[in-house]
Amino acid sequence: MKQDRRLIKAPAVILMALSSAGCITSTVQDARTGVTGIGEGESVVIMAKSYHLGNETELKYIRCIEDSLSRGKDGLRVIPHDQFVDSLFPWFEPRTAPAETKNLAKLMARPGVADRIEEQGIRYIIWLDGDTERVAGGGSLSCAAGPGGGGCFGFAWWQKDADYDASVWDLQGLESAGTVSADVSGTSFMPALVIPLPFIARTQARACKTLADQLHAFIVQDEAA
Amino acid sequence: MLKLQIALILPASQSTVESGQLGAGRWNSGALRRSDIRILGPIVTAGRVYLKVMNRSAILGTLLAGLISGCSSNVTLQTPTIPEPLLEQIPISVGLRMPDNFQHFVHEEKVYGRDEWSIDLGRSNAALFEQLFGHMFAGLRVLGPDDDPQLLPLDALIEPSIDAFEFSTPDQSNTEAFAVWIRYRLKVYDRDGQLVSNWPVSAYGKSQTTTMGGSEALQRAAVLAMRDAAALMIMKFDNVTRISSLAEKPAPETGPAAEPESEQAPEADVQTTALEGTQDETG
Repeated sequence: MKQDRRLIKAPAVILMALSSAGCITSTVQDARTGVTGIGEGESVVIMAKSYHLGNETELKYIRCIEDSLSRGKDGLRVIPHDQFVDSLFPWFEPRTAPAETKNLAKLMARPGVADRIEEQGIRYIIWLDGDTERVAGGGSLSCAAGPGGGGCFGFAWWQKDADYDASVWDLQGLESAGTVSADVSGTSFMPALVIPLPFIARTQARACKTLADQLHAFIVQDEAA
Repeated sequence: MLKLQIALILPASQSTVESGQLGAGRWNSGALRRSDIRILGPIVTAGRVYLKVMNRSAILGTLLAGLISGCSSNVTLQTPTIPEPLLEQIPISVGLRMPDNFQHFVHEEKVYGRDEWSIDLGRSNAALFEQLFGHMFAGLRVLGPDDDPQLLPLDALIEPSIDAFEFSTPDQSNTEAFAVWIRYRLKVYDRDGQLVSNWPVSAYGKSQTTTMGGSEALQRAAVLAMRDAAALMIMKFDNVTRISSLAEKPAPETGPAAEPESEQAPEADVQTTALEGTQDETG
């Protein structure tokens, strides 16, 4: 009897394991234009490029990068972007935020701006640009439900691409330190025979982890060297 | 393209369900879109497999509740607080006279073929301008309906109004974001009651839907639009309206006659709006 239960449980466990993973490919690159490093008491802030410029970076992606960068004993000190934007109101609103490093000097000369940045120990502003979108999909899935019950039959798949660029601005030298980019593509499947079985590719989560790891290395690399 | 079909099998008395009334939030977050869902009708198709459900009435009750809800959305905006801005205060004393709809602004709209929306901004516009002008100017007095500004020691009077309020839903924009546009109009009068500037301020806010639902995202988009307006006014108010030039001039000291100063007040009709570089409508 026990053996029968094990025989039933084994495919269920395999199914659960498979359900958590679709197919994912990822590419990460960086281009350094300045020397980096971060000292004790210095912090970073994660910002999204303005939606006035057509950028669609998701709020949850920003939070994910913030969490990933600050996690662990080697984590960076990350100032939450809401707190940063409020403390410098109105100079980092989507309409007013500087679009290029050459605008930084003028911004820092505005009343109170340099003081607020220094108070929070902000060394780097990381500007995120990009989003996750569904680029393809196919298949057919039908579901039926009624007083007697319900169920699904068919097969569906879809592909999502997560392309993000991060520009690192060094507020010490008021210059760009470089860029890091992550391109991740994930395909998910959902066969259904009464019950749909999702094989989900967590594309955005992978793009978050990949970019955060590379950003961490990018910022602390010179100091460690 | 992926096609998902959902068949609802209902008793004949409950078969008049219209497409689009399903609460499809669960499917929206993934690859399946609400528009992919279609109700096929009360006919049981051969070959379909059904799960056994113990409590049919519970399922039907839940289903009907889902059908009833989702036809209209009411959003009430909490009064926002803008952070203390980093700016140089304009050294004048202004009066702020707000119309009734600043205290009770409600926008109602039926999105074609979909939901009805009612967005109650409440006092949020009034609060925004009171906070903002309190920071921007050395003196601010909020005028009531019976106050006569010419009897008060004010350098200028500002009268804001709302020209237009628009929004878009994720269904309309084919994105996962709500967007809000607000066009304010700011009329500035000098101490003699003459209109010196008439400035349309267009503001935009955008916020993505969250697991908390569309209402929260729409509220956030509205608040972002208000902050956008505030940022624009902080940056451009004096450049556009020349309000600082309305400050009361100090009385000339008695003594040797001085050369008369040239006219200080700028020509209002050459002012331009901050947005799009269009000519202001001063007039």
